[in-house]
Amino acid sequence: MIELKNTVKKFDSYTALNGVDLKIEKGTAFGLLGSNGAGKSTILRLLSGIYKQESGEVLIDGQPVYDNIAAKQKVFFINDETVQFGSFTLKGLKNYYKTYYPNFSEELFESLRKRINLPLNKKINTFSKGMKRQAIVIIALACRTDYLLLDEAFDGLDPTMRIIVKKMLVDAMLDRQLTTIISSHNLKEINEVCDTAALLHNGKIVFSREIDSLKGEVHKIQAVFPQNADGSPADFTQEDFASTGLKILHFERSQSIYYIIAKGDEDTVRAAFAPKEPLLLEMIPLTLEEIFIYELEVLGYDSNDISGN
Amino acid sequence: MFSIDLTSRTPIYEQIYENIIGLIVKGRLAENDQLPSVRAFAKDAGVNPNTVAKAYQELERTGIIYSVPGRGSFIAKPDSTVFQGAVLADFDSAALACADRGIDKQVLTEHLDNIYTKHGKGEQL
Repeated sequence: MIELKNTVKKFDSYTALNGVDLKIEKGTAFGLLGSNGAGKSTILRLLSGIYKQESGEVLIDGQPVYDNIAAKQKVFFINDETVQFGSFTLKGLKNYYKTYYPNFSEELFESLRKRINLPLNKKINTFSKGMKRQAIVIIALACRTDYLLLDEAFDGLDPTMRIIVKKMLVDAMLDRQLTTIISSHNLKEINEVCDTAALLHNGKIVFSREIDSLKGEVHKIQAVFPQNADGSPADFTQEDFASTGLKILHFERSQSIYYIIAKGDEDTVRAAFAPKEPLLLEMIPLTLEEIFIYELEVLGYDSNDISGN
Repeated sequence: MFSIDLTSRTPIYEQIYENIIGLIVKGRLAENDQLPSVRAFAKDAGVNPNTVAKAYQELERTGIIYSVPGRGSFIAKPDSTVFQGAVLADFDSAALACADRGIDKQVLTEHLDNIYTKHGKGEQL
């Protein structure tokens, strides 16, 4: 299990992580979402022992990570900057990593390599961006670590290769309970690959939840209410609905039609709206992308503001 | 055989659950038929194996499938109350949608009468 407890990471005067609490259970595929500069990569670098936190704890299976070889051998980090050792051949690169990871399996490496037909004796420099990614992914899987960290996971891979890599991850998850932590801006990918996700903003966790339960919990609601006795359209404010225990993320009204994004399961939404006797009440669950946008809008990260509309 | 829509708003585990019930209702999966392993399903549909396992657990809990350790998961003897429950839940949500759109209960009753009269005579709707 991975735990971050009240973790603070600063770069000079800039605070990248501002008291992060996060728990990642073994065997999950965990998606790290967040705005640009939210602190996703900083978390991955703390977990792989590249950075040291200013305060708080970063634990892998209960052990602090920084300067701890035993803990670091449980983790493989695939950086978003692909491969640093361009003058190595794939064979050379594999042998380099092999010395650091005692669980390395030559057999697994060969079977993965054959599946994607990667040349063993060519310099990594001559590989395309996608091939470099493939090379580091199969080395990472062959190191058979308990934890695999992927920064901008599927960047540079073509659609077929994405499917192959996903299948490799499925095998590793089922064969040895691999825990993967994936940071990505591609919400569709996170939705497919991950079962749990956390949203980061300004160095803090907004939420950390199971994706399936998250989806049933935020709704897009369209409602129309009866006119007042004097014929004027029903006039409700955001507070009229928030007072019933529902968390309103977005509130918009156009004449008598209300567009509301609210947090709460279907029953809670119905219970909150029923007393106002809506003529029409429609609700659909949100996609992960919509959840991302509205959750951040509440925190003042608004696409409308940024675009100047 | 299974169709999982990764862009859908419906949670993936719910889609897997509904998919399998749907295939049993349509007669494409029969009692004692074997389901694909969690691994095969996850690879085939390109989804997270934990999600597939969760759907299988839920199907087993509700008695729709049973598992034999070391051999896999199989379709259980269909229990009519489970399937009637699933169909009735669909009916309820359709009726709820009608109510949301302000359709009068009387209109729904007429529709129901119409359906049952025609069904009794073996006519197509």
